[in-house]
Amino acid sequence: MSGKAMVETRLALPKGQMLNRTSLFLTSIGLGFDNYNSGTRIYRMRSQAMPGLTAKMLNERDIPVQVAVGNYDFGICNSDWLQELLTRYPASRVLKIADLGYDISDIYMACATSSDISARVKTGSTAAWRIVTEYPALAEAAAYKMRLKRYRIFPCWGSTEAYPPENADFSVLRVRNEDALRSLNLKPVRRICGSNACIIANSNSLQSNDFSNLLERFASSASMKNKPWQAQEKAVFAVNNNLARSSRAGDIWLALADGHQQAHTEAFMQKTGIKLEGYSKNDLRRRPSSDIDWLSIKVIRPQDMPQQVANGNFDLAITGRDWLLDHLYQFPSSPVAEMVNLGFGWVRIVAVVSESVPADSIGSLRNLVAAGKIVPLRVATEYINIADKYLRDKHIARYRVIPTWGATEVYLPEDAEMLIENTETGQTLARHKLKIIDTLFESTACLIGNRRSLEERGKKDKINKLISLFREAVNKK
Amino acid sequence: MESQRCKGARDLLPDDMERFRQVEDAFRNSCLNWGYREIRTPTLEYIHLFTAAGTLTPAMLGRVYSFLDWDGWGGERVVLRPDGTIPAARLYSENLADQKIARLYYITNVFAFEETGRENREKWQCGVELLGDCGRASDAEVIALALEIAGAMGLAKPELKLSHAGILKALIGELRLDGDSKAALLDDILEGNWQAFAGVKSKNKEVIQAITTLIKLKGKSSGFLANLKAMPAVSKNVRAEIDSFAAVTALLDTMQVSYSIDFTSIRGFEYYTGLCFKITSGGERICSGGRYDNLIGLVGGKDIPACGFAFYLDTVTAIVKPWSQQKAEKTVSVKSTGGSAASFKTAFEAAAAMRKIGLIAELDFCGGQLQARWSVSVSTRPAAFTVIDNYKKTRRKAATIGEVINIIGGFNKLVR
Repeated sequence: MSGKAMVETRLALPKGQMLNRTSLFLTSIGLGFDNYNSGTRIYRMRSQAMPGLTAKMLNERDIPVQVAVGNYDFGICNSDWLQELLTRYPASRVLKIADLGYDISDIYMACATSSDISARVKTGSTAAWRIVTEYPALAEAAAYKMRLKRYRIFPCWGSTEAYPPENADFSVLRVRNEDALRSLNLKPVRRICGSNACIIANSNSLQSNDFSNLLERFASSASMKNKPWQAQEKAVFAVNNNLARSSRAGDIWLALADGHQQAHTEAFMQKTGIKLEGYSKNDLRRRPSSDIDWLSIKVIRPQDMPQQVANGNFDLAITGRDWLLDHLYQFPSSPVAEMVNLGFGWVRIVAVVSESVPADSIGSLRNLVAAGKIVPLRVATEYINIADKYLRDKHIARYRVIPTWGATEVYLPEDAEMLIENTETGQTLARHKLKIIDTLFESTACLIGNRRSLEERGKKDKINKLISLFREAVNKK
Repeated sequence: MESQRCKGARDLLPDDMERFRQVEDAFRNSCLNWGYREIRTPTLEYIHLFTAAGTLTPAMLGRVYSFLDWDGWGGERVVLRPDGTIPAARLYSENLADQKIARLYYITNVFAFEETGRENREKWQCGVELLGDCGRASDAEVIALALEIAGAMGLAKPELKLSHAGILKALIGELRLDGDSKAALLDDILEGNWQAFAGVKSKNKEVIQAITTLIKLKGKSSGFLANLKAMPAVSKNVRAEIDSFAAVTALLDTMQVSYSIDFTSIRGFEYYTGLCFKITSGGERICSGGRYDNLIGLVGGKDIPACGFAFYLDTVTAIVKPWSQQKAEKTVSVKSTGGSAASFKTAFEAAAAMRKIGLIAELDFCGGQLQARWSVSVSTRPAAFTVIDNYKKTRRKAATIGEVINIIGGFNKLVR
C-alpha cells in the first residue's frame, strides 16, 4: 500500500447467494473481511488491510439504492439491480465501475412453454397482459418497447417462474441462461439484458474524494491469472415447475408458501389431513398435488399472496397477517379477508430505534421530530404500507419510508433512524444495540381468502369445506 | 427559508394568472367564434389508454406519473394525464361518436417528469380537436384557427412550419427493417435524433438517399413537394403520402398562408399519421398539431379521421406582453377615512355602483393597495367623497356617488 492516508470509505456487500464468491474476490485482492461469511451474524465490518474502510452486509437488491443515495461509496451487487434502478430513476447518482464476471445470467421476458404468445402480440390483442416480476421497471420498459397495448405488472418478491401460464402471461426473471429458462418450463419472448456481479460507486463520492488506493486494488484483479471467484459455478437446483393436471372451472386455487414458512406450513397441512405430494423439503414442486381432486395448489412467496388472492388468481392462501395488513392498507376495499387464524409463526411487528436515541415511546420520538432534532425521520422497512399508515396515524411531521428487501437491522443508526420490523424474541434487535419503542400488532399465519369466491355458486361449498378442515386442524393439539 | 414546494412544481402568482387568463381568453374566444365547444377530461386516466401502440412514445411513457389506485389490486395503474389529445379522443369515442363532426377545445394541465426540477413537471395546454373531418379542408381549418389564435394572444410574428408523419413513416417502411430495428429507429426519430438514419443498415440505399435529402432541405412551397415526388426511389406508397401533403399546401398557397416545409421540425409524432405542423414565435415553439387518423380507433372507437393542435401555455405566457396596464386604468381603490358604520356602508355602496358600470372597485380599509388609477375616499361626514386620479395627480370633491362616477367615467374611456 502507498503511504497515502485512506479516506473513510463505506462499502456495501451482498448477503445471500452472492456472498461466497464476493468474499473469495475480496480475499483474492487482499481485502478480505474476517466476518464476511455465510455463517456470520455480524453485519458490520472493518477492514484489517485498509484502515478507514468499513463494510456492511445488505440484501443485494438494496445495494444500488443505498449507494445512489450516498449511504455507501461503493457496493458489490448484480448489475440487473443497478439496471432496474437506473431504468426507474435515470438520474440516480450511481454508476458501474467494473464487471466481476461471476453470477453471469440473463434477464428474460418469458412465457410458459405451452403458450402461443406471439400470435396474440402480432394481432395487437386488447386483453391486458399480466406480467409478474421482481423487476417492474425493466418489465415496463420492455412492455413499452414491445408496444403492448394493455398490460398489468405485478411486482413480486420472487418465485415468478411459477405464475405462467395459469396466473400470468409473462414472467420477467433472471436465469443462468436460456437452457435454465427452458428447464423451468418457460421459453424466451425477449432477452432484456445480461447481468453479472459488478462494482458500483456513488458518483458524488467519486467526484469529490480520492479512493485511488481502493480502486487500484479492485483493478489489480483484472491482471490476475487465476480468478477463483470466476470458477465454473455449480448448476443451481431448480424447483420443479412442470404443469400439473389441467385445472377445471370451479377448482379451488390454494397458494402455499416457499422459503422459511414452508416447514411450518407443511406441518400444519399434515394436521388438516389433506395429503400433499411435492410440498416437502426434499421434493418441492411449484404445483404440488393433493388427494382432493378439485384442489389446485401453487407454491409462491407469502408476501405476494394477498394481491394474488385479491386479483382472483387464487381463492385461498396461507400467509402471515402482517402481509395481509400491508396489502389492506394499500388497498382498503380489497376483497381479501382473514378466514382462519392458524396460530403458528407468531411474531410481533415493532417500531425500533437505536439504543442511543433519547426516546422510549413513539410519543417521545414524535416530540424529537417535531423539535427538529431528527428531520426527516428515515424509516427502513419491508412493510411499506404498514409503516406509512403507522407514521401517518402517529402524526410524525416529516418522515421518509425506505423500502428494503430484508436485513433491515443493519440500517440503524447510519442509514435510517427507525425500523418497522418483525421480531420473535427481540434477540437480533438487542444484538444490534436497538430498542423497541412500540408494538404495532401481533402476527401469525392465517388462511386468507377472496370474499367474492365465496359468492360463486360452484366454489362456496368447496371453500367452506376447506375452511372447516383448517379450523379443525387448528383445534387439534 | 427552504421551500416547501415540490420540485418541478410551480406557483402561479397573481401576475402569472393575469397573463394566463389573458392568453386563455384569447384562445377561448377564437374557438367559440369558430364553433368549437369546450370539454374537460379527468386528471386520472388508466395507463393503458397511453400505452397502446401509436399513442405515446416509450420515452414519454418513461416519464409519466402512474400509480396503483386505492382499489388497484388488479394491477391496472392510473396515470396523471400526460397528454391532452388522447383523453379527448377517448371522450369523443365514448360520448360523441354519433356526431358526424365534433369541434372540441380544452384547456388542461398535463404531467410529465423532468429530471432537473428546473422545468415544470405540470404544464398547461390549450388544444383543439376536429373529429370526423372533411379531409384537407380540415387541415387548413385548424392551421388557420391556430394562426388566428396566435395573433389574438398577441404573439409576435408567428411562423408556420410543416412536416408530414405519413411520408416519414412510409419511407421508414420502405427500408424493410426487421421489427426490432424498425421500432428502435422510430424511437430515435421520435426523440428528434435524425442522425439515426445514418446508422441504418438497409439494402435500400436509394431510400436512405431520399430520406437524407428530405431531412436536409427546407421547402417554401408546393413546388418543393412536386420535386420530391419526382425523385428516384420514391415508391407508390410514398407518392400517395406526398400527394396528400401537397393537397394541403396547395390550399394554404391559395389562402396565402405562408409556411416553410421542414421534415425535422416535429418530435414525438407517434400518433400522427399525416400533416404535422408547428408554430413558433421568437424561436420558441408555441403550438404544434397535425392529423391523427388512427387515434380514435386506438382508444377503442371507430376509425374516424381527426386533426387538431395544442398551444403550450407555459411558453406562451412567458413571451406575451401583459395587459395589466389596462387593468390598472379601470381600478378604483375605495377607502373610508373614518371608522363609523355609516361611512363603511357608503364605501360599500360606492364600490358596488362602480362595479355595475364595469370598473374594478377594490375596498381599501387598511391602506397599501397599489396599481389603481383612481382612489375614492369616503369621509366621516355623510356624502362627502374625494376622488383622486393617481396618474394625473388631480384631486376633486364630490357630494354623491353619482358625481363620483361622473368624474371617473368622464375621464376613463375604458369603462364599458
